[in-house]
Amino acid sequence: MERFAKRGVALVAAGLAGSLVLAGCSGQDLEGGGSDNASQGQITLKVNFWGDMGLDKLKTQYEKDNPNVKIVLNSGEYNAQHEDLQKKLVAGTGAPDISAVDEGFIVQFRGQSDKFVNLLDKGASSYEAKYLPWKWQQSLSTDKKTQIGLGTDVGGLAMCYRSDLFKAAGLPTDRESVSKLWTTWDDFINVGKQYVDKTGKKFVDSGTNMFNPVLAQQPQGFYDESEQLQMDAGPKVAFDVAMKTIDAGLSANLASFQPNWDQGFKKDQFAVLACPAWMLGHIQTTAPNQKGKWDIATIPGGGGNWGGSWWTIPKQGKNADEAYKFVEWMVQPAQQIEVFKTVGNLPSQPALYKDPAVLEYKKEFMSNAPTGQIFASTAEGLKPQYLGKKNGPTRVAVENVITRVQQGSLKSNAAWPEAVKAAQKAATS
Amino acid sequence: MSLTRSAPPAASPEPAQRRAAKSAPKQRNWLHRFDNKRVPYLLISPFFLLFAIFGLFPIVFNGIVALRNWRLDDPTLTGWAGLANFEKLIHDEAFWNALGNTFGIFILATVPQLLIALMVANLLNRKLRGNTWWRVGVLLPYVTPVAASTLVFAVFFARDNGMANWLLSLVGFGQDTPLDWRAYKWSSWIAIATMVNWKWIGYNALLYLSAMQSIPKDVYEAAAVDGAGPWRQLWRITVPMIQPVLIFTVVLSTIGGLQLFNEPMLFEENPAAASGGSNGQWQTIAQLIYKVGWKDLNLGYAAAMSWALFVIILIVAALNALATNRLGGGRR
Repeated sequence: MERFAKRGVALVAAGLAGSLVLAGCSGQDLEGGGSDNASQGQITLKVNFWGDMGLDKLKTQYEKDNPNVKIVLNSGEYNAQHEDLQKKLVAGTGAPDISAVDEGFIVQFRGQSDKFVNLLDKGASSYEAKYLPWKWQQSLSTDKKTQIGLGTDVGGLAMCYRSDLFKAAGLPTDRESVSKLWTTWDDFINVGKQYVDKTGKKFVDSGTNMFNPVLAQQPQGFYDESEQLQMDAGPKVAFDVAMKTIDAGLSANLASFQPNWDQGFKKDQFAVLACPAWMLGHIQTTAPNQKGKWDIATIPGGGGNWGGSWWTIPKQGKNADEAYKFVEWMVQPAQQIEVFKTVGNLPSQPALYKDPAVLEYKKEFMSNAPTGQIFASTAEGLKPQYLGKKNGPTRVAVENVITRVQQGSLKSNAAWPEAVKAAQKAATS
Repeated sequence: MSLTRSAPPAASPEPAQRRAAKSAPKQRNWLHRFDNKRVPYLLISPFFLLFAIFGLFPIVFNGIVALRNWRLDDPTLTGWAGLANFEKLIHDEAFWNALGNTFGIFILATVPQLLIALMVANLLNRKLRGNTWWRVGVLLPYVTPVAASTLVFAVFFARDNGMANWLLSLVGFGQDTPLDWRAYKWSSWIAIATMVNWKWIGYNALLYLSAMQSIPKDVYEAAAVDGAGPWRQLWRITVPMIQPVLIFTVVLSTIGGLQLFNEPMLFEENPAAASGGSNGQWQTIAQLIYKVGWKDLNLGYAAAMSWALFVIILIVAALNALATNRLGGGRR
């Protein structure tokens, strides 16, 4: 018995060790920040964002110019960062001094404008004229009295394509000819059919990545300005394009930003990708050996926008003034151009689109495409689209219906009523 | 150190003793009573204090929130909602769907998990070469962080180039059209239940094993003499004799199974959606609560769901404990 008891202890000890390891691995919460270190007269600004926003160089420079300020950059995962911000806002404590917010979440946060520093109070109104009008509007509270963020980048919208795969399929490869191939989405689908017939491979990554850019081009999104769901206007057009694409067998049915999708890049599972400016960085990191194989053409159906972010200052921070100073500095032309050159994020101030540094910039990875020129033209010509309060959940609901069609559990001709039903449910949830 | 040690030891106790002697009967009595009656409570109080802060308070607060309107996207909508959130719950298709999924996955995960754990424990209880190695080995899946193992499983159950589909193709299924594990209820349930089973079988097996080792060997010897085979010994001797541990694991895995969150969440192609598949095929209640709270931003409704889940777990855990008690011969 004694021997067994000892074994038992050993087993329990092993179990405990196991759970400790587990706790150690899962308990990586990034707490703290926003505390000013008074003893050294130092101020620490914690900045939350995701991916790479090209801030490393800027941080060094700002700290050099302002010796009393220390910047802590905290890059996380896209969804996690937004969710973290939301939780800290509810908790009333723990939010960073400065937080980046993306277009996908800006509606959610502008509805809680009382939790953010009103940048108009800090003198941000002088920047209104410098921004794309719709960019300025999107982060403004419903009563137009509170501006929660200063825009940093916009997505713009173009069509990235694999020139090597196009060549193999007997299609033209230079950007002008490719752009001429598709003025409308129907043209685009026809080109896709040719490609699929010739190569036997799929043309686009997924139906949802057809739906979203087409929806972005419509004058109206899911909701009108009185917050009523309007499925029959913009969403119907976009949904039909997605269905046509799936029916024609063009879609590889891969969910964006997921492991399968990343593999799809490497395995040539699709030849085109609707791409905003920030997507270029993603392509480059996912498939670094495809340098020179990608190029950029115009997108069918005119300009559009996908994504782009703002810098916001949660009210609970103690250093709002210093935080605003840093944000203001970051949105100055010199810094915006620096970011554009480092990671490719397109500035949201149209004056910069005329700047030679942007106009003449060529992206080496994308076969030396003049990305500044291409994306600027799509963002500038855009008509503003109102994003309703429930825009995010509604988009997810409709995307799910498209996924069901791709999975084969729903017929494409029966899908639209399902989409309307799902959207209505999301609208009232 | 040397300074304190060299302090005169005799000087200080003396006055204290004298003082104590004066009021000795009363004070000693008091001290004694305090030591006897209060100290045990003091010593166990840290647990209850912590529980009050991290257990009781959230439950009560959650209950209050459940009766209120609290929407993050609409700060103007506040105040008491009465039972409106619970009423909404009863008519919410998504909730019933999630409840069905949760129980489906729960059964697929718990029953094989405990049965296999029992078998594994029974095997480990024999004289094996490399005993410790095997025992630590079965615990390894438990030690692996759930996020890491689930991500591996997400790749394992991938539609294109997934190992699960490769194995299926070896036996002749789905060579032309690979199975999309996420598309259907049954396949996604199996995938998630597999992840849960993989993680917890070893843990439960070790619990059973430690209980089995306290069973005296002579019972088995007597049974063997009477002609009971290994199978019969397992069900007639081992299972009844490890019954307390059995109940413990059943209750624990009931709670864990009904609160299932990480696995379905990470199985999602787009975790931001938290919709448990394109049509809620595998959306569990915990996942739905998360979606309602942090995606639909309806904290009041999410709190009502949490409370409903809490009650459901209490009921099911009690039923399971009862049933297990019966199974093992049911003396208590």
